[in-house]
Amino acid sequence: MRILLSCLAVMLVHVSAWAVPPIQQATLPNGIRVLLMEAHDVPMLSMQLTLPAGSRFDPLGKGGAAALLAAMLTDHTARHDHDAWAEFLDRHALRLGSDVDKDALHVSLTVLRESLNDGMGALAEALLYPGWDENRFSILRQDAVFAARKALEEPGVVANAAALEMLYGDHPYGHRSEGSPDSLQRIGMADLQAIYRRQVKPAGGVLAVSGDVTMPELLKLVRQYFGAWEGSPAMARQDIAEPRLVRGQQSMLDMPTSQTLVQFVRLGPARNAPDFFPIFVLNHMLGGGGFASRLMEEVREKRGLVYGIYSYFVPLTIGGPFTIMLQTRADQADEAERIVRQVMQDFVSGKISQRMLDAAKTHLVGSFAQRLDSNRERVGLMSMIGFYGLPLDYLQTWTAHVRAVTLQQVRQQAKRWLRFEDWNVIRVGPIAR
Amino acid sequence: MRQAFLFLALGYLLISSDAAWATPHMKSARFPNGVKLVVDESHAAPVAMVQVWLKVGGRDEMPGKTGLAHVFEHMMFKGSRKLGPGEFSKRIAAIGGNDNAFTTHDYTAYFETVPASRVDEVLGMEAERFAHLRLDAEEFAKEIRVIQEERRMRTEDDPNSRLFEEISATALRLHPYRNPVIGWMQDLRRLTIEDVRSFYKAHYVPENVIVVIVGDVEFEHVKAVVGRTFGRLRPRSAPPRFAPVEPEPLGPKRMVVRLPAQLPMVAITMPVPVWRPGENDREVAALAVATQILAGGYGARLQRDLVDRERLAFQASAGYDPFGMGIDLWFAYGMLGPKQSAGQFEAGFWRLIERLASHELDLDTLEAAKRNIIADEVFAQDSLYLRAKEIGRLEAVGIGAEHRDAWLEAIRKVGPADVRRVIHKWIRADRATTGVLQPKAGKGGRS
Repeated sequence: MRILLSCLAVMLVHVSAWAVPPIQQATLPNGIRVLLMEAHDVPMLSMQLTLPAGSRFDPLGKGGAAALLAAMLTDHTARHDHDAWAEFLDRHALRLGSDVDKDALHVSLTVLRESLNDGMGALAEALLYPGWDENRFSILRQDAVFAARKALEEPGVVANAAALEMLYGDHPYGHRSEGSPDSLQRIGMADLQAIYRRQVKPAGGVLAVSGDVTMPELLKLVRQYFGAWEGSPAMARQDIAEPRLVRGQQSMLDMPTSQTLVQFVRLGPARNAPDFFPIFVLNHMLGGGGFASRLMEEVREKRGLVYGIYSYFVPLTIGGPFTIMLQTRADQADEAERIVRQVMQDFVSGKISQRMLDAAKTHLVGSFAQRLDSNRERVGLMSMIGFYGLPLDYLQTWTAHVRAVTLQQVRQQAKRWLRFEDWNVIRVGPIAR
Repeated sequence: MRQAFLFLALGYLLISSDAAWATPHMKSARFPNGVKLVVDESHAAPVAMVQVWLKVGGRDEMPGKTGLAHVFEHMMFKGSRKLGPGEFSKRIAAIGGNDNAFTTHDYTAYFETVPASRVDEVLGMEAERFAHLRLDAEEFAKEIRVIQEERRMRTEDDPNSRLFEEISATALRLHPYRNPVIGWMQDLRRLTIEDVRSFYKAHYVPENVIVVIVGDVEFEHVKAVVGRTFGRLRPRSAPPRFAPVEPEPLGPKRMVVRLPAQLPMVAITMPVPVWRPGENDREVAALAVATQILAGGYGARLQRDLVDRERLAFQASAGYDPFGMGIDLWFAYGMLGPKQSAGQFEAGFWRLIERLASHELDLDTLEAAKRNIIADEVFAQDSLYLRAKEIGRLEAVGIGAEHRDAWLEAIRKVGPADVRRVIHKWIRADRATTGVLQPKAGKGGRS
């Protein structure tokens, strides 16, 4: 196969003293985008192929289908049964994995430099030659059903499932990607094959690679193993409806625990939101910055009510959930909730100082290099950049974007996102009788 | 919490002939007051990981004072002569860093990831809080509540953790691994600021300190900085580590934990030896390889035989830490579906062990297991945090980071007969403590 486009190395001017390694890009004729960051200090590579085949493509009522597809793809192939495949992967010390999030299916590989050829072959074989072994399917499905039930011992899982259902209902984001015991039970092999047939295609797929390799070496292998793969997914990443807004809902789920988990949820911003950086900085100040965040200060440091409290949003093709979460001894839940509401109210009413903002920005800018200090982390970032169509200089301009955030912007975003009446509250814990 | 199954990083040259790849240069220094410094330079990014390790952990607590080492770790963030409560972390954040700490039975470590240009400042702050901790009673009163919440979250409300806590206490009679690092709730309710102060006086002495730095630094420079910070602490001798010898089990033990849970679980544990370089290399390396064959990779025998073929559990694994102090509590477990029984899982487990103990291992399986252990060492080099942690724990438990290569060499020498022999000798039903989590029927069993 010929290669259509040549490599394009992006090396833009950036503000930090450290040169963020450039992302090199190439696109194969079949539409796979290859993104590479070279790192030659350890003789290994990490990579990940990302395709629009996440849990939003699960058939209604069959949550977990895409996750089962991901598990099946790396479990065996048309060329190797399960035992032979396991033996092959172990012999070459290949770390082949797969998982799904709401939007995407990821197949990942960590490999020693000396086994790159075998590793790339394994990655391609898993994706292009599915085995569809009925016996393995029934084993994987049953194990997934049991694992999903075991997971209900965790208050966080119970709260998360309830939050997705509350926020999204029948919308494709309205269930956990892992599925529930009931939804997994309803899935048949045909459901997996349908997702595979429609969505697992090279066009628009992103192969992000970081490690001990150069672009010419890498492309030779990608062409060799993925060159003959053809087709485009039936639905593009962008084809998804906006959910309706849900606000002011409350829910209490009974669990025989000593703590009550309190989760505040609302729809959050999308990955391509124009105000992404102001919201990102706002969340860092609220509850995303660990001990540097206000919620940790007020709820843990000042009052000792929790071990951890944090806030996060999941930016997807459209808005994913924006969440604030804490766990505290059941009889302290009301007090903890009151403090969280007060912090939100303070943010909304503009009680955010320039000094606080500067501290958050310094923390984020200064620790940026840490986000890139392993192959695995670099692959995650490049996958995100490629899959969501962010500019290739995203990492080079990241710190400048954070620095540019103003106090006015943060106050504005606080008003927009943190008004308590726009949120919903889910509690999981013992119901007093 | 104690890490179950973490191998250390070793000489890469053993596994690759790739010339483009440089061996790391680990350099160390010891100061007159007993403080040790180990540096692994890595100039790939302008970042450094600073870790301060203390040779003190849960094992050094008195009976009735469990959890104290971990409580102390929390108090390190609650103010010193120069810094107010919480200010340490705020300052680290303000220089673009992140900090945290962890406590195990064997050691306590404080760590900061920072821009490499700020390492000097961090070392100064670490030495200052080490020497002049405030230990304020009011801060303690708040923090002990935080720790009780931590215990509720990690243990009390997690039936699987609870099973492991109980099984450790049942399996061991003397060794401090029988007590949870987080502490028993009864003890957490009774600890006082006086306990914390006397723990500080006894254990936070220069002789117990190992400073580990991995990242974009120059050894000679940081050596000078550590010399004028930690190196100037007044020398004081450390008390000997609490290290009782665990008696050999006299027969099998069983226990049951009944708790609200969705599904049952069974765990099988037994005390096994840990590495003493030059004394038991072959035996301990063979145990590591045996555990890898049972629980590592895609062909892990527990998963293949007990889950995939015999359908006795929906998940099964095992763990062994060869770098503990005194012994390790080796474990295997099975997560059971509603109709899978603990008894059948156990029977299947011991049949599998019997097969491994009585049949010669095929060489392909053995070679794959060794290769994967070694590959994990290389993959661990990808993270500054893991690199520093591997150095720190080898130092803190008394093995010495300079023995890294000897461990890989020991792994390479393991033969099929070694694996068979260690399984036969150590992984035995008459040495085992078996624990079962039985879901308790009643309120909230299902959500």
